[in-house]
Amino acid sequence: MAGSKRDKKDRDEKKSKKAKHEAEVVEDDDIDDGTEALNSKDVPASAARECTEAAAEDEFGAQDYRKTLELKADHMSRPLWVAPNGHIFLESFSPVYRHAHDFLIAISEPVCRPTNVHEYKLTAYSLYAAVSVGLQTNDIIEYLRRLSKTSLPSGIVEFIKLCTLSYGKVKLVLKHNRYYVESQYPDVLQKLLKDPYIQQARKRELDEEAGNDTLIAGQLSNKSALQLNKPAASTSDGQASASTAENGDNENAKEDVPDDIFELYDKIDKDDDDEDEAELKTVSFEVNQDSIEVLQRRCIELEHPLLAEYDFRNDTLNPDVNLDLKPSTILRPYQEKSLRKMFGNGRARSGVIVLPCGAGKTLVGVTAACTVRKRCICLATSGVAVEQWRSQFKMWSTVDDSLICRFTSDAKDKPMGCAICISTYSMLAHSTKRSWEAEKMMEWLQNQEWGLMVLDEVQTIPAKMFRRVLTTVNAHCKLGLTATLVREDDKIADLNFLIGPKLYEANWMELQNLGYIARVQCAEVWCPMTPEFYGEYLTMKSQRKLLLSAMNPNKFRACQFLIRYHERRNDKVIVFSDNVFALKHYAVKLSKPYLYGPTNQGERLQILQNFQHNPKVNTIFVSKVADTSFDLPEANVLIQISAHGGSRRQEAQRLGRILRAKKGSAAEEYNAYFYSLVSQDTNEMAFSLKRQRFLVNQGYSYKVITKLEGMEKEDLNYRSREEQLTLLHQVLAASDEDAEEERLLGDMPGKSLEDLNYRSREEQLTLLHQVLAASDEDAEEERLLGDMPGKSLSNRRVGSMQSLSGADDAIYMEYSKNKKKSDHVHPLFKKFKKA
Amino acid sequence: MVNVTKGVLVECDPAMKQFLLYLDNKNEFGRKFVLQDLDDTHLFITADIVEILQDRIDELLDQMSFSIAEK
Repeated sequence: MAGSKRDKKDRDEKKSKKAKHEAEVVEDDDIDDGTEALNSKDVPASAARECTEAAAEDEFGAQDYRKTLELKADHMSRPLWVAPNGHIFLESFSPVYRHAHDFLIAISEPVCRPTNVHEYKLTAYSLYAAVSVGLQTNDIIEYLRRLSKTSLPSGIVEFIKLCTLSYGKVKLVLKHNRYYVESQYPDVLQKLLKDPYIQQARKRELDEEAGNDTLIAGQLSNKSALQLNKPAASTSDGQASASTAENGDNENAKEDVPDDIFELYDKIDKDDDDEDEAELKTVSFEVNQDSIEVLQRRCIELEHPLLAEYDFRNDTLNPDVNLDLKPSTILRPYQEKSLRKMFGNGRARSGVIVLPCGAGKTLVGVTAACTVRKRCICLATSGVAVEQWRSQFKMWSTVDDSLICRFTSDAKDKPMGCAICISTYSMLAHSTKRSWEAEKMMEWLQNQEWGLMVLDEVQTIPAKMFRRVLTTVNAHCKLGLTATLVREDDKIADLNFLIGPKLYEANWMELQNLGYIARVQCAEVWCPMTPEFYGEYLTMKSQRKLLLSAMNPNKFRACQFLIRYHERRNDKVIVFSDNVFALKHYAVKLSKPYLYGPTNQGERLQILQNFQHNPKVNTIFVSKVADTSFDLPEANVLIQISAHGGSRRQEAQRLGRILRAKKGSAAEEYNAYFYSLVSQDTNEMAFSLKRQRFLVNQGYSYKVITKLEGMEKEDLNYRSREEQLTLLHQVLAASDEDAEEERLLGDMPGKSLEDLNYRSREEQLTLLHQVLAASDEDAEEERLLGDMPGKSLSNRRVGSMQSLSGADDAIYMEYSKNKKKSDHVHPLFKKFKKA
Repeated sequence: MVNVTKGVLVECDPAMKQFLLYLDNKNEFGRKFVLQDLDDTHLFITADIVEILQDRIDELLDQMSFSIAEK
């Protein structure tokens, strides 16, 4: 698959990019092979607009805005700097930080959020998102003006006007099972109606005269549709007192804060208040269902992209599903906030919610499903994730087991009467022949009308595959969930128009400080290359260099040292290696268990259970199969010895493996450790910097360790030069069998080896690296084809799942393991039981 | 007959020494420049090559670094 990807890349116009650097090929795993998938028609022209205004630069690249902007007299108490190039800087120590932050997150994209000053950027997309959650042009400008330390640059005001004027004014609303184009602005609708295509799409009553332009007047409640369990009385008291305390704080802070910002508080708070019953007048006209697509495309061309909203309460055609959150399920504040953005006006908006790994994305998805209460389809990336979604649904909601239906290659439940379908992207997008059972299932899926579609790890899907999924399944509302809204290509912005705008993005550091995710110390350990290894490194081709830098004896020693150090502290350590040769060698040499793609199910289960429960197994080695969806709540130390080029996503997702909030560790400053071992003077240095960008922007800082204290005293392997030389020879000689094993891993459809290529060592090595460079999706698919890992995993994870999704203090009934097992009985036996 | 060549003593870490030897072996500059391989961290090289070498090493280090600001 990787091979075909590369071929395609050769053909397309990005040739120049490829030629740039040989090693570059390895790093961009996210590059979409479906370059043609998203044509310009789907994105309004104005979305490409950028706010750029050049100012004089000094020799360090700093720009001087003193002449253009005027500093306000009370600038000390205002938190924002708004630069004419669209970047906004927020002082996080300001007393009005919290409000300014909420506002900025709504209107702009966070760029970088370290401790003291946060950087945001206004983009056309972010403003589009702002408008779609109900902010208006004048409000945005007014708030910005008040919060800014200086006068607002005129360019910014114009940019905001330009971007918000046409966006978000018209909505495509589905209510009473009919489609309406709705707007609060009659003039906009009139303008749209002048267009001949839209005229055609408009649905008229038979007796109505053509040209009659009366619009249907309506009212829109501001009431949120989100109904959550209020925390128990005691907690609500606690909250009340907390909020009064907060008010008290505000009183104290009042002297510093100008009055106009205070008025702003009230206004923002009012916006948040879901009890607000204000009704907005709207006008709408009905459209034919058949011409929806034409209409949408035409509206984009007219620069009035339609926002899809689903009035699920007034959907009488689709039956309500008996699905509620359990009374004990309580959402964390940020989960609630994100959902409030989605259900803000009593309807469901489509969009993307961004929360860090381990912060309870699944609970957000489950709550959304419980709010909509219509048929719901969840799509995950792998079979394991499907099982996790299923158990999460059962944990948080009152859903009956018979209502959930899994659809993966090895678990196909009967779809009859089911309301929640959980499947994988590859399953739905599969285009070749399916089994009869799967075929029937697909037919059924296509014929259903789905209320809500939840898309897990939405950043991983290439646009092309996504398209296929969207055309297959007819869903009224789409919710995307992700931790890392980054791709190495620029395809991420397309999600805005494929799903919807970004509704909410959590601040990692804030969640960390509040204790919802673990406090992680990130460290980059520099391991000097030994002279022999570096000598070989210099003469080798770039692909081979990766192996040599991963096998650097000094790296091995650092790894061994760190493992010993943390095992002594009773920590649980996961070691990640993308390179399977290195993985095996390290693991065997240190006599630790390892697992990777070809590891069979039983063994995998055994290793994972031992890691969890056996105090003697504190370290496991894993390949990239564990990057996502491997839930190992105990693990708190992660060592990375080889990684996939400069992939930011992989780095963030690996960090996610240890982000689950750790219990009883409030005393220490950090309760989880993330080490990245880097061989000095090699490509790994550059890759490592690239990989860190995302996490650095989230406010993480990497400590660079050049020398591990006390390493000399330890009795570690590969101390003598002789041993190191032996290792070098092993590395140089190993490639044959190594490549063979890798081919096993790379036994993917469409990759035929029959043409007797790959005879020479070089070719085999190239193949090896192609396989290693294959994207995560590839690896996951492979996992899917194997036996079902989820079966075992779901057994294992019961006890710790509250903490995973955000309610450590809530008490649940534990599903007994026996019962759980009986859920997984072969369908045949189930039949017998019933009979 | 005595040949006099002006040389410079270079002290570097073991890996960097490998890099210099690699350049020397590959005849990167059209000639050999290492006069004497002294020990793990010391080399004796011809004096006139030093500037070119510094450029080469800068180049190597540039390849391995990456500006965070770059997108």
